Amino acid sequence: MAASKSGVSKPAVTSFQKKTRSKLISISGTRPSVQNGQLLVSTGVTSLDYLLGGGLAVGTVLLIEEDRYDSYSRTILKYFLAEGVVCRHELFVASAQDNPDDILQELPSPILDDVAIHKPAEQPRLPSDPPDSLDAMKIAWRYQNLPKVQTALASSSRFGHYYDVSKTMEPEIRQAAKCHRFYLPEHPTQSSPTHSTMLKSYSALLKSLQEVINREGFDLTTPMSNSRNILRVGLHSLGSALWGDDLCCRDNPRNGHALATFLYGLRALLRSSLSVAVVTVPSHLIQDRALMGSITRLCDNAIALESFKGSERETNPLYKDYHGLLHVRQIPQLNCLASKLPDHKDLAFKLKRKQFTIERLHLPPDLSETVSRVSRGELAGAPTAASACGTGTSGNKHLDF
Amino acid sequence: MLTELLHGADTGGFLVIQDSTSCSGRHLLESFISAALNREEAVHVLGFDVSEEELTGGLKGSAIERLHFHNAYTDPLGWTDQPSLTLHQFCSEELSHLLKPTSHSKSTILVIDSLSWILRHVNPPAVCKTLHQLRKGGAVRAIIALLHADMHQRGTVGSVCHLASSVIKVAPGMKGDETVAKITKRSKSGKVVQDEEIFSIKEDLSVTVHSKRSQPGLKQTETEEQEADPTANLTFNLRLSDTEREAKEKLALPFVFSKEKKSALLHSGPGSGRILYEPDANDDYDQEDPDDDLDV
Repeated sequence: MAASKSGVSKPAVTSFQKKTRSKLISISGTRPSVQNGQLLVSTGVTSLDYLLGGGLAVGTVLLIEEDRYDSYSRTILKYFLAEGVVCRHELFVASAQDNPDDILQELPSPILDDVAIHKPAEQPRLPSDPPDSLDAMKIAWRYQNLPKVQTALASSSRFGHYYDVSKTMEPEIRQAAKCHRFYLPEHPTQSSPTHSTMLKSYSALLKSLQEVINREGFDLTTPMSNSRNILRVGLHSLGSALWGDDLCCRDNPRNGHALATFLYGLRALLRSSLSVAVVTVPSHLIQDRALMGSITRLCDNAIALESFKGSERETNPLYKDYHGLLHVRQIPQLNCLASKLPDHKDLAFKLKRKQFTIERLHLPPDLSETVSRVSRGELAGAPTAASACGTGTSGNKHLDF
Repeated sequence: MLTELLHGADTGGFLVIQDSTSCSGRHLLESFISAALNREEAVHVLGFDVSEEELTGGLKGSAIERLHFHNAYTDPLGWTDQPSLTLHQFCSEELSHLLKPTSHSKSTILVIDSLSWILRHVNPPAVCKTLHQLRKGGAVRAIIALLHADMHQRGTVGSVCHLASSVIKVAPGMKGDETVAKITKRSKSGKVVQDEEIFSIKEDLSVTVHSKRSQPGLKQTETEEQEADPTANLTFNLRLSDTEREAKEKLALPFVFSKEKKSALLHSGPGSGRILYEPDANDDYDQEDPDDDLDV
């Protein structure tokens, strides 16, 4: 009571200060994390953002283990770069295989008026629904008003944009973004005898990245200027033979630690700057699993894509709605001891024209009592329609009760 | 798909023919050479595995003039004074120099026979780099290479095939002259097509595709499906006549409630409360959302 009285008499003196947003760095296309206040950027794939705890924290590396034909990992990389273009971030694209300009030309077109995707119709049904919907369920009618199970991973608020993969981004939008390119065959490699464990190509890449960070003012140690921006770093197919690395070629690679050394350097560079990186690695070619483990450890986030293309899973009815499986190898532990693990481990992805979605993988409802313990391998052989009618029917012709 | 590849549809492609000791891919390679020659294209062969006579034995006619054989078979490592082609020349600058004489690069095809020989002596990353540069450089229209897959470590084969636009894996077929080809083709847009075909090669190096191999596993499940019709021989009646159905519908089951009771149970009725609030002018209404920093 006394406090309120004094508040009336002298309104200016109060210890209460409203928390405002101005203390945080405000950069377009970023938002602070709900869990730990880290500054996040979107990967361009909404469900991947959700999976990684809201987005990619600035200063971290996302490792993508490529699928066999590098089609989906490349798509995610392009989404990441396209999101940067739309948010007016700066880009740094490095590749040894394709010219970075080619990658930039393939960026998907953003759908900028895409608010219609999350319509209220998808929300749980309101009590004011017409009563004739009651006829929908006769026996299990108590479940009628339960919201549908949402398989697609999505957070409640929108972050990031949607893209149309069938169209490429208009050149005007693309050229508005500032982009730094590193194409290994065109890059003059200086001889650097001091770094013995690091390959020339990697040290040239790291130097080039460092130069961009220092020159363009992404470094956090430099005094704060008014207009800060994010640098998005996309490194394509690192560790492949075209980087001069025999990591993928041999069982006992001669410069097996070159990539690990590079990633150490990359991480140190990113931690002290306003930049975020996505690295793809053709891990299916790497024979040494221990080396792959150390590479994963040196990145903050790690996901692996396993495409069904060319594998026997393509014909499996369980997977018929999806294009591949997504494995989460690592989730970052930033400023905390434990990380937020995804609540579901079996994840699958599919690439639709307007969206790359990651969904929880569900087993179809099992209707009979006898096949309740059918394994996935058995399911691969039997068609879904027949599996409900019992597995033993092929042997005895008569169904006796 | 094999005939499609033989006709050489893709420009800037890199085709790898993977074989093993159980089945040689050399005849298929020769077919590819002869098909290219028939298209009036210049073919450059880097021959490491067999001599010129052996390779060109099956080829006939005037088309052979457009075949340029670079002999690395006699002296691959440069031990004599005048080697015609050595392994050290396997880099993009030297090779584009070698391919210069034919003026129109639009229709030049480079055949490497075989890549295994090179991979044995040159560092695999260097080989991959050279192949990639040749492909991007525009000196040749397409590259066709033979690779003995069982000679190398898995990673090496994987790395080379990772670069290739098409991979043909050959394996022995059921009959004597038949060969099974597993084809993986990657288009520029990133789409991957896979196919399996049985083919045989005649004397004049023409390829006849017999059939697409039907998957034996799939066939089995189809027959099983036909057998397992559970409604065929039943000892009881599954179907209802109209009168029976009517009688069934009349029967009131326990725990089936009327519509009104259901809706009363599902929705909170009019007895429950609800807060109606209309802000008036004196309300201290904050323009800013107090929870905007919570991000919910």
